[in-house]
Amino acid sequence: MAATPMPLEARNIKKRFGDTEVLKGLSLQAHKGDVITLIGASGSGKSTFLRCMNLLEQPDEGDLLMHGEEILFKQTRRGREPADWKQVVRMRAKLSMVFQSFNLWAHMTLLENIIEAPIHVLGKPRKEAIEQANALLERVGLTARANAYPAQMSGGQQQRGAIARALAMDPEVMLFDEPTSALDPELVGDVLKVMHGLADEGRTMVVVTHEMGFARDVSSQVIYLHQGLVEEAGPPQDVLTNPSSPRLKQFLAPKY
Amino acid sequence: MELTTWFTDLLDGNLIFTPQTLGYYWDGLVTTSQLVFLSLLAGLVLAVPLAIGRSSRHRWISLPIYAYTYVFRGTPLLIQLYIIYYGVVFVDGIQESIFWPLLREAFFPALIAFTLNTAAYTTEIFRGAIKATARGEIEAARAYGMSNALMMRRIVLPSAFRRALPAYGNEVIFMLHASAIASVVTLMDLTGAARFVYARFYAPFEAFLFVAAIYLCLTFAILYFFRFLEKRLLAHLRPA
Repeated sequence: MAATPMPLEARNIKKRFGDTEVLKGLSLQAHKGDVITLIGASGSGKSTFLRCMNLLEQPDEGDLLMHGEEILFKQTRRGREPADWKQVVRMRAKLSMVFQSFNLWAHMTLLENIIEAPIHVLGKPRKEAIEQANALLERVGLTARANAYPAQMSGGQQQRGAIARALAMDPEVMLFDEPTSALDPELVGDVLKVMHGLADEGRTMVVVTHEMGFARDVSSQVIYLHQGLVEEAGPPQDVLTNPSSPRLKQFLAPKY
Repeated sequence: MELTTWFTDLLDGNLIFTPQTLGYYWDGLVTTSQLVFLSLLAGLVLAVPLAIGRSSRHRWISLPIYAYTYVFRGTPLLIQLYIIYYGVVFVDGIQESIFWPLLREAFFPALIAFTLNTAAYTTEIFRGAIKATARGEIEAARAYGMSNALMMRRIVLPSAFRRALPAYGNEVIFMLHASAIASVVTLMDLTGAARFVYARFYAPFEAFLFVAAIYLCLTFAILYFFRFLEKRLLAHLRPA
Protein backbone atom coordinates (compact mmCIF):
# COMPACT_ATOMS: atom_id res chain seq x y z
CA MET A 1 0.00 0.00 0.00
CA ALA A 2 2.27 2.72 1.25
CA ALA A 3 5.15 3.60 -1.03
CA THR A 4 7.63 4.00 1.81
CA PRO A 5 7.81 1.13 4.24
CA MET A 6 6.76 1.97 7.74
CA PRO A 7 9.54 2.80 10.21
CA LEU A 8 7.85 0.70 12.86
CA GLU A 9 5.05 -1.80 12.87
CA ALA A 10 3.83 -4.11 15.61
CA ARG A 11 1.40 -6.92 14.77
CA ASN A 12 -0.75 -8.73 17.25
CA ILE A 13 1.65 -8.44 20.21
CA LYS A 14 0.82 -10.68 23.16
CA LYS A 15 2.60 -10.77 26.47
CA ARG A 16 1.94 -12.50 29.74
CA PHE A 17 3.64 -12.19 33.13
CA GLY A 18 3.04 -15.46 34.90
CA ASP A 19 -0.69 -16.09 34.82
CA THR A 20 -1.73 -12.57 33.88
CA GLU A 21 -2.07 -11.78 30.23
CA VAL A 22 -0.96 -8.17 30.01
CA LEU A 23 -1.16 -7.67 26.26
CA LYS A 24 -3.86 -9.56 24.44
CA GLY A 25 -2.96 -8.87 20.85
CA LEU A 26 -2.00 -5.26 20.12
CA SER A 27 -1.01 -3.80 16.79
CA LEU A 28 0.38 -0.45 15.82
CA GLN A 29 1.56 1.16 12.61
CA ALA A 30 3.86 4.13 12.84
CA HIS A 31 4.25 5.85 9.48
CA LYS A 32 6.91 8.45 9.00
CA GLY A 33 5.99 11.60 10.90
CA ASP A 34 3.28 9.95 12.95
CA VAL A 35 2.87 10.85 16.58
CA ILE A 36 1.01 8.02 18.23
CA THR A 37 -0.05 8.42 21.82
CA LEU A 38 -0.97 5.47 23.99
CA ILE A 39 -3.31 6.30 26.84
CA GLY A 40 -5.08 4.21 29.41
CA ALA A 41 -5.33 3.52 33.11
CA SER A 42 -2.35 2.06 34.91
CA GLY A 43 -2.25 -1.67 34.32
CA SER A 44 -3.76 -1.30 30.87
CA GLY A 45 -0.47 -2.47 29.31
CA LYS A 46 0.58 0.72 27.55
CA SER A 47 4.12 0.81 28.98
CA THR A 48 4.60 -2.91 28.44
CA PHE A 49 3.47 -2.51 24.84
CA LEU A 50 6.00 0.28 24.33
CA ARG A 51 8.76 -1.78 25.96
CA CYS A 52 7.94 -4.69 23.65
CA MET A 53 8.64 -2.43 20.69
CA ASN A 54 12.35 -2.22 21.46
CA LEU A 55 12.40 -5.65 23.09
CA LEU A 56 13.09 -4.53 26.64
CA GLU A 57 10.27 -7.01 27.15
CA GLN A 58 10.04 -10.06 24.92
CA PRO A 59 6.59 -10.44 23.37
CA ASP A 60 5.27 -13.98 23.67
CA GLU A 61 3.52 -13.71 20.33
CA GLY A 62 3.32 -11.28 17.48
CA ASP A 63 5.68 -9.64 15.04
CA LEU A 64 7.76 -6.51 14.96
CA LEU A 65 8.85 -4.92 11.73
CA MET A 66 11.17 -2.03 11.03
CA HIS A 67 10.90 -0.71 7.49
CA GLY A 68 9.30 -4.00 6.62
CA GLU A 69 12.21 -6.01 8.03
CA GLU A 70 10.88 -8.58 10.43
CA ILE A 71 12.57 -9.17 13.76
CA LEU A 72 13.35 -12.87 14.02
CA PHE A 73 12.39 -14.87 17.06
CA LYS A 74 13.13 -18.37 18.22
CA GLN A 75 11.58 -20.53 20.89
CA THR A 76 13.89 -21.49 23.76
CA ARG A 77 13.39 -23.20 27.09
CA ARG A 78 13.05 -19.79 28.75
CA GLY A 79 10.42 -18.72 26.25
CA ARG A 80 10.44 -16.74 23.06
CA GLU A 81 13.65 -14.86 22.40
CA PRO A 82 15.10 -12.88 19.52
CA ALA A 83 16.94 -15.24 17.21
CA ASP A 84 19.58 -12.73 16.24
CA TRP A 85 20.72 -10.31 18.93
CA LYS A 86 22.78 -8.40 16.40
CA GLN A 87 19.56 -7.59 14.58
CA VAL A 88 18.04 -6.41 17.86
CA VAL A 89 21.03 -4.20 18.64
CA ARG A 90 20.84 -2.73 15.15
CA MET A 91 17.14 -2.10 15.55
CA ARG A 92 17.43 -0.53 19.00
CA ALA A 93 20.02 1.90 17.69
CA LYS A 94 17.30 3.31 15.42
CA LEU A 95 14.66 3.49 18.12
CA SER A 96 15.66 5.68 20.98
CA MET A 97 13.76 5.62 24.19
CA VAL A 98 13.00 8.25 26.79
CA PHE A 99 12.14 6.78 30.18
CA GLN A 100 9.81 7.82 32.94
CA SER A 101 12.69 8.01 35.43
CA PHE A 102 15.16 9.48 32.90
CA ASN A 103 17.75 6.71 33.40
CA LEU A 104 20.71 8.89 32.58
CA TRP A 105 24.00 7.16 33.39
CA ALA A 106 24.84 8.55 36.80
CA HIS A 107 28.62 8.38 36.58
CA MET A 108 28.77 10.46 33.40
CA THR A 109 28.23 14.15 32.88
CA LEU A 110 25.30 15.21 30.75
CA LEU A 111 27.57 15.73 27.74
CA GLU A 112 29.15 12.30 28.22
CA ASN A 113 25.68 10.78 28.46
CA ILE A 114 24.75 12.29 25.12
CA ILE A 115 27.88 11.27 23.19
CA GLU A 116 28.17 7.79 24.72
CA ALA A 117 25.95 5.75 22.40
CA PRO A 118 26.69 7.74 19.21
CA ILE A 119 30.42 7.07 19.71
CA HIS A 120 30.32 3.50 20.98
CA VAL A 121 27.22 2.15 19.27
CA LEU A 122 27.05 4.14 16.04
CA GLY A 123 30.81 4.60 15.73
CA LYS A 124 30.64 8.35 15.26
CA PRO A 125 33.91 10.29 15.57
CA ARG A 126 34.18 11.89 19.00
CA LYS A 127 34.57 15.41 17.71
CA GLU A 128 31.48 15.15 15.56
CA ALA A 129 29.49 13.66 18.43
CA ILE A 130 30.46 16.52 20.73
CA GLU A 131 29.50 19.13 18.15
CA GLN A 132 26.13 17.47 17.68
CA ALA A 133 25.67 17.16 21.46
CA ASN A 134 26.34 20.85 21.94
CA ALA A 135 23.74 21.73 19.33
CA LEU A 136 21.22 19.44 21.03
CA LEU A 137 22.00 20.88 24.45
CA GLU A 138 21.28 24.30 23.11
CA ARG A 139 18.04 23.09 21.64
CA VAL A 140 16.81 21.69 24.97
CA GLY A 141 18.14 24.72 26.83
CA LEU A 142 20.86 22.96 28.82
CA THR A 143 24.08 24.37 27.41
CA ALA A 144 25.07 25.60 30.85
CA ARG A 145 24.66 22.14 32.37
CA ALA A 146 26.80 20.19 29.91
CA ASN A 147 29.31 19.22 32.56
CA ALA A 148 26.85 18.58 35.37
CA TYR A 149 26.18 15.07 36.62
CA PRO A 150 22.57 13.84 36.56
CA ALA A 151 22.32 13.95 40.37
CA GLN A 152 23.09 17.65 40.22
CA MET A 153 20.20 18.45 37.89
CA SER A 154 16.49 18.85 38.49
CA GLY A 155 14.09 16.23 37.15
CA GLY A 156 13.02 18.46 34.28
CA GLN A 157 16.62 19.12 33.30
CA GLN A 158 17.41 15.43 33.47
CA GLN A 159 14.47 14.59 31.25
CA ARG A 160 15.36 17.24 28.70
CA GLY A 161 18.92 15.91 28.82
CA ALA A 162 17.57 12.42 28.24
CA ILE A 163 15.66 13.70 25.20
CA ALA A 164 18.89 15.21 23.89
CA ARG A 165 20.55 11.82 24.44
CA ALA A 166 17.77 10.18 22.47
CA LEU A 167 18.04 12.70 19.62
CA ALA A 168 21.79 12.20 19.38
CA MET A 169 21.12 8.74 17.97
CA ASP A 170 19.38 10.30 14.94
CA PRO A 171 16.55 7.90 15.66
CA GLU A 172 13.93 6.94 13.14
CA VAL A 173 11.34 6.45 15.83
CA MET A 174 11.38 7.88 19.35
CA LEU A 175 9.66 5.98 22.13
CA PHE A 176 8.53 7.96 25.18
CA ASP A 177 7.53 6.04 28.29
CA GLU A 178 5.52 8.45 30.45
CA PRO A 179 8.19 11.12 30.14
CA THR A 180 6.53 13.62 32.44
CA SER A 181 5.02 11.34 35.08
CA ALA A 182 7.97 11.60 37.48
CA LEU A 183 8.20 15.38 37.24
CA ASP A 184 6.96 18.14 39.48
CA PRO A 185 4.02 19.92 37.81
CA GLU A 186 5.97 23.12 37.20
CA LEU A 187 8.68 21.18 35.32
CA VAL A 188 6.32 19.31 33.02
CA GLY A 189 5.83 22.28 30.69
CA ASP A 190 9.50 22.53 29.63
CA VAL A 191 9.62 18.88 28.70
CA LEU A 192 6.34 19.01 26.81
CA LYS A 193 7.54 22.07 24.94
CA VAL A 194 10.60 20.16 23.72
CA MET A 195 8.41 17.21 22.68
CA HIS A 196 6.01 19.56 20.94
CA GLY A 197 8.92 20.90 18.91
CA LEU A 198 9.93 17.38 17.93
CA ALA A 199 6.43 16.58 16.73
CA ASP A 200 6.34 19.81 14.72
CA GLU A 201 9.54 18.92 12.86
CA GLY A 202 8.03 15.64 11.75
CA ARG A 203 9.65 13.14 14.08
CA THR A 204 8.03 9.76 14.28
CA MET A 205 7.07 9.25 17.91
CA VAL A 206 5.23 6.74 20.04
CA VAL A 207 4.32 8.29 23.36
CA VAL A 208 2.83 6.74 26.45
CA THR A 209 1.40 9.63 28.41
CA HIS A 210 -1.16 10.91 30.85
CA GLU A 211 -0.95 14.43 29.42
CA MET A 212 -4.26 14.64 27.56
CA GLY A 213 -3.59 18.18 26.40
CA PHE A 214 -0.38 17.04 24.75
CA ALA A 215 -2.14 14.05 23.21
CA ARG A 216 -4.85 16.28 21.79
CA ASP A 217 -2.45 18.88 20.39
CA VAL A 218 0.22 16.80 18.70
CA SER A 219 -0.99 13.25 18.08
CA SER A 220 -1.86 11.95 14.67
CA GLN A 221 -3.39 8.96 16.37
CA VAL A 222 -4.52 8.21 19.90
CA ILE A 223 -4.85 4.64 21.10
CA TYR A 224 -6.80 3.98 24.27
CA LEU A 225 -5.86 0.68 25.89
CA HIS A 226 -7.93 -1.19 28.39
CA GLN A 227 -6.74 -4.43 29.97
CA GLY A 228 -4.34 -5.28 27.21
CA LEU A 229 -6.67 -4.53 24.31
CA VAL A 230 -7.32 -1.52 22.10
CA GLU A 231 -10.61 -0.11 23.31
CA GLU A 232 -10.65 2.85 20.97
CA ALA A 233 -8.25 4.34 18.45
CA GLY A 234 -8.25 7.15 15.96
CA PRO A 235 -7.41 10.79 15.43
CA PRO A 236 -7.45 12.82 18.67
CA GLN A 237 -10.43 14.90 17.66
CA ASP A 238 -12.52 11.71 17.51
CA VAL A 239 -11.07 9.72 20.35
CA LEU A 240 -10.53 12.51 22.85
CA THR A 241 -13.34 14.85 21.94
CA ASN A 242 -16.09 12.40 21.06
CA PRO A 243 -15.23 9.13 22.73
CA SER A 244 -17.69 6.37 21.93
CA SER A 245 -16.67 3.83 24.53
CA PRO A 246 -18.17 4.41 27.97
CA ARG A 247 -14.90 3.39 29.60
CA LEU A 248 -12.95 6.01 27.70
CA LYS A 249 -15.61 8.59 28.54
CA GLN A 250 -15.12 7.78 32.17
CA PHE A 251 -11.33 7.79 31.79
CA LEU A 252 -11.40 11.25 30.27
CA ALA A 253 -13.94 12.70 32.67
CA PRO A 254 -12.59 15.17 35.19
CA LYS A 255 -11.61 13.25 38.31
CA TYR A 256 -12.40 15.97 40.82
CA MET B 1 72.35 19.40 56.98
CA GLU B 2 71.00 20.36 60.35
CA LEU B 3 68.41 17.65 60.14
CA THR B 4 71.00 14.96 59.45
CA THR B 5 73.17 16.05 62.39
CA TRP B 6 70.10 16.06 64.60
CA PHE B 7 69.31 12.60 63.37
CA THR B 8 72.80 11.17 63.91
CA ASP B 9 72.90 12.78 67.38
CA LEU B 10 69.69 11.07 68.18
CA LEU B 11 71.03 7.76 66.97
CA ASP B 12 74.27 8.22 68.90
CA GLY B 13 72.46 8.49 72.16
CA ASN B 14 70.53 5.29 71.66
CA LEU B 15 71.47 1.68 71.47
CA ILE B 16 68.48 0.24 69.71
CA PHE B 17 67.85 2.42 66.66
CA THR B 18 71.27 2.14 65.12
CA PRO B 19 71.83 2.59 61.41
CA GLN B 20 71.94 -1.19 61.26
CA THR B 21 68.51 -1.82 62.83
CA LEU B 22 67.05 1.06 60.86
CA GLY B 23 68.38 -0.75 57.81
CA TYR B 24 66.38 -3.83 58.86
CA TYR B 25 63.27 -1.75 59.21
CA TRP B 26 63.90 -0.19 55.84
CA ASP B 27 64.35 -3.58 54.18
CA GLY B 28 61.19 -4.72 55.97
CA LEU B 29 59.32 -1.70 54.66
CA VAL B 30 60.44 -2.51 51.12
CA THR B 31 59.41 -6.16 51.48
CA THR B 32 56.03 -5.29 52.99
CA SER B 33 55.36 -2.70 50.29
CA GLN B 34 56.29 -5.10 47.51
CA LEU B 35 54.25 -7.93 48.97
CA VAL B 36 51.16 -5.82 49.57
CA PHE B 37 51.36 -3.91 46.32
CA LEU B 38 51.95 -6.95 44.13
CA SER B 39 49.29 -9.06 45.81
CA LEU B 40 46.75 -6.23 45.60
CA LEU B 41 47.56 -5.66 41.95
CA ALA B 42 47.31 -9.34 41.03
CA GLY B 43 44.20 -9.69 43.21
CA LEU B 44 42.55 -6.77 41.45
CA VAL B 45 43.35 -8.16 38.01
CA LEU B 46 41.88 -11.53 39.02
CA ALA B 47 38.87 -10.02 40.77
CA VAL B 48 37.45 -8.13 37.78
CA PRO B 49 36.69 -11.16 35.58
CA LEU B 50 35.78 -13.21 38.65
CA ALA B 51 33.27 -10.60 39.77
CA ILE B 52 31.72 -10.52 36.29
CA GLY B 53 31.50 -14.31 36.34
CA ARG B 54 30.13 -14.26 39.86
CA SER B 55 27.32 -11.95 38.68
CA SER B 56 26.48 -14.26 35.79
CA ARG B 57 23.05 -15.81 35.72
CA HIS B 58 24.59 -19.08 34.57
CA ARG B 59 25.05 -21.09 37.73
CA TRP B 60 27.85 -23.20 36.34
CA ILE B 61 29.90 -20.00 36.05
CA SER B 62 28.87 -18.25 39.24
CA LEU B 63 28.82 -21.25 41.60
CA PRO B 64 32.50 -22.32 41.27
CA ILE B 65 33.53 -18.70 41.82
CA TYR B 66 31.28 -18.50 44.84
CA ALA B 67 32.88 -21.68 46.18
CA TYR B 68 36.30 -20.10 45.77
CA THR B 69 35.40 -16.84 47.50
CA TYR B 70 33.58 -18.73 50.23
CA VAL B 71 36.60 -20.89 51.03
CA PHE B 72 39.07 -18.02 51.01
CA ARG B 73 36.84 -15.72 53.02
CA GLY B 74 35.79 -18.51 55.32
CA THR B 75 39.25 -19.59 56.50
CA PRO B 76 41.98 -17.60 58.27
CA LEU B 77 44.61 -16.06 56.06
CA LEU B 78 47.26 -17.54 58.34
CA ILE B 79 46.00 -21.06 57.61
CA GLN B 80 45.97 -20.32 53.88
CA LEU B 81 49.54 -19.11 54.18
CA TYR B 82 50.58 -22.26 56.09
CA ILE B 83 48.93 -24.53 53.56
CA ILE B 84 50.65 -22.87 50.64
CA TYR B 85 54.04 -22.31 52.32
CA TYR B 86 54.37 -25.70 53.99
CA GLY B 87 52.30 -27.64 51.50
CA VAL B 88 54.02 -26.59 48.31
CA VAL B 89 57.01 -28.85 49.06
CA PHE B 90 54.80 -31.90 48.90
CA VAL B 91 53.47 -31.21 45.43
CA ASP B 92 54.85 -33.91 43.14
CA GLY B 93 57.67 -32.72 40.95
CA ILE B 94 57.58 -29.16 42.24
CA GLN B 95 61.20 -29.33 43.40
CA GLU B 96 62.34 -30.21 39.90
CA SER B 97 60.23 -27.52 38.26
CA ILE B 98 61.57 -24.18 37.14
CA PHE B 99 59.43 -22.45 39.77
CA TRP B 100 61.17 -24.10 42.70
CA PRO B 101 63.85 -21.41 43.21
CA LEU B 102 61.00 -18.91 43.58
CA LEU B 103 58.70 -21.09 45.66
CA ARG B 104 61.50 -22.03 48.04
CA GLU B 105 61.63 -18.45 49.23
CA ALA B 106 58.98 -17.34 51.69
CA PHE B 107 58.05 -14.35 49.52
CA PHE B 108 56.31 -16.18 46.71
CA PRO B 109 54.14 -18.52 48.74
CA ALA B 110 53.14 -15.48 50.78
CA LEU B 111 52.42 -13.54 47.59
CA ILE B 112 50.25 -16.38 46.27
CA ALA B 113 48.32 -16.72 49.53
CA PHE B 114 47.74 -12.97 49.83
CA THR B 115 46.76 -12.65 46.18
CA LEU B 116 44.19 -15.44 46.37
CA ASN B 117 42.84 -14.03 49.62
CA THR B 118 42.47 -10.43 48.48
CA ALA B 119 41.10 -11.57 45.11
CA ALA B 120 38.32 -13.42 46.95
CA TYR B 121 37.34 -10.38 49.03
CA THR B 122 37.67 -7.98 46.10
CA THR B 123 35.52 -10.25 43.92
CA GLU B 124 32.72 -10.05 46.47
CA ILE B 125 33.10 -6.29 46.84
CA PHE B 126 32.85 -5.83 43.07
CA ARG B 127 30.02 -8.31 42.74
CA GLY B 128 27.98 -6.33 45.27
CA ALA B 129 28.73 -3.14 43.37
CA ILE B 130 27.82 -4.71 40.01
CA LYS B 131 24.56 -6.04 41.41
CA ALA B 132 23.71 -2.60 42.76
CA THR B 133 23.83 -1.02 39.30
CA ALA B 134 20.58 0.87 38.79
CA ARG B 135 18.17 -1.18 36.66
CA GLY B 136 17.19 1.90 34.73
CA GLU B 137 20.76 2.56 33.64
CA ILE B 138 21.03 -1.00 32.36
CA GLU B 139 17.74 -0.65 30.49
CA ALA B 140 18.93 2.61 28.97
CA ALA B 141 22.13 0.91 27.81
CA ARG B 142 20.13 -1.89 26.21
CA ALA B 143 17.62 0.50 24.70
CA TYR B 144 20.47 2.46 23.10
CA GLY B 145 21.73 -0.61 21.28
CA MET B 146 24.63 -1.65 23.49
CA SER B 147 25.71 -5.27 23.41
CA ASN B 148 26.24 -7.00 26.75
CA ALA B 149 30.02 -6.64 26.49
CA LEU B 150 29.85 -2.95 25.62
CA MET B 151 27.37 -2.30 28.40
CA MET B 152 29.63 -4.08 30.89
CA ARG B 153 32.66 -2.09 29.77
CA ARG B 154 31.10 1.34 29.45
CA ILE B 155 28.24 1.43 31.95
CA VAL B 156 28.24 -1.35 34.54
CA LEU B 157 31.94 -1.60 35.44
CA PRO B 158 32.77 2.13 35.53
CA SER B 159 29.80 2.77 37.76
CA ALA B 160 30.44 -0.33 39.91
CA PHE B 161 34.14 0.48 40.44
CA ARG B 162 33.22 3.90 41.70
CA ARG B 163 30.66 2.47 44.08
CA ALA B 164 33.19 -0.11 45.27
CA LEU B 165 35.92 2.41 45.96
CA PRO B 166 35.30 3.06 49.69
CA ALA B 167 34.96 -0.66 50.44
CA TYR B 168 38.03 -1.45 48.35
CA GLY B 169 40.02 1.18 50.26
CA ASN B 170 39.25 -0.74 53.43
CA GLU B 171 40.40 -3.95 51.76
CA VAL B 172 43.74 -2.33 50.90
CA ILE B 173 44.28 -1.28 54.51
CA PHE B 174 43.21 -4.70 55.67
CA MET B 175 45.78 -6.32 53.37
CA LEU B 176 48.53 -4.05 54.65
CA HIS B 177 47.81 -5.10 58.20
CA ALA B 178 47.26 -8.73 57.31
CA SER B 179 50.67 -8.78 55.67
CA ALA B 180 52.17 -8.73 59.17
CA ILE B 181 51.55 -12.46 59.41
CA ALA B 182 54.00 -13.05 56.57
CA SER B 183 56.68 -12.77 59.24
CA VAL B 184 55.64 -16.12 60.74
CA VAL B 185 56.89 -17.90 57.64
CA THR B 186 60.35 -16.33 58.08
CA LEU B 187 59.72 -13.39 55.76
CA MET B 188 61.62 -10.28 56.93
CA ASP B 189 58.84 -7.81 56.35
CA LEU B 190 58.21 -4.84 58.65
CA THR B 191 56.88 -7.04 61.41
CA GLY B 192 59.72 -9.51 60.83
CA ALA B 193 62.20 -6.68 61.31
CA ALA B 194 60.44 -5.59 64.49
CA ARG B 195 60.53 -9.13 65.85
CA PHE B 196 64.20 -9.33 65.07
CA VAL B 197 64.96 -6.06 66.89
CA TYR B 198 62.81 -7.14 69.82
CA ALA B 199 64.65 -10.47 70.12
CA ARG B 200 68.01 -8.81 69.80
CA PHE B 201 67.50 -6.11 72.44
CA TYR B 202 64.57 -7.50 74.39
CA ALA B 203 62.90 -4.12 74.00
CA PRO B 204 59.29 -4.78 73.05
CA PHE B 205 58.01 -1.22 73.27
CA GLU B 206 60.73 0.34 71.17
CA ALA B 207 60.66 -2.44 68.58
CA PHE B 208 56.91 -2.72 68.15
CA LEU B 209 55.79 0.86 68.78
CA PHE B 210 58.22 1.99 66.13
CA VAL B 211 56.86 -0.48 63.61
CA ALA B 212 53.30 0.42 64.61
CA ALA B 213 54.11 4.03 63.78
CA ILE B 214 55.34 2.99 60.35
CA TYR B 215 52.10 1.06 59.71
CA LEU B 216 50.14 4.11 60.82
CA CYS B 217 51.99 6.28 58.33
CA LEU B 218 51.36 3.79 55.53
CA THR B 219 47.68 3.61 56.45
CA PHE B 220 47.49 7.35 56.41
CA ALA B 221 49.01 7.45 52.94
CA ILE B 222 46.50 4.86 51.69
CA LEU B 223 43.57 6.71 53.25
CA TYR B 224 44.72 9.93 51.69
CA PHE B 225 45.15 8.30 48.29
CA PHE B 226 41.63 6.85 48.39
CA ARG B 227 40.19 10.13 49.61
CA PHE B 228 41.78 11.76 46.57
CA LEU B 229 40.37 9.06 44.25
CA GLU B 230 36.91 9.33 45.75
CA LYS B 231 36.95 13.08 45.39
CA ARG B 232 37.73 12.72 41.71
CA LEU B 233 35.72 9.63 40.78
CA LEU B 234 32.70 10.07 43.01
CA ALA B 235 32.05 13.66 41.98
CA HIS B 236 28.79 12.50 40.40
CA LEU B 237 27.38 11.58 43.81
CA ARG B 238 28.00 14.95 45.37
CA PRO B 239 25.21 17.46 45.11
CA ALA B 240 26.19 20.60 43.25
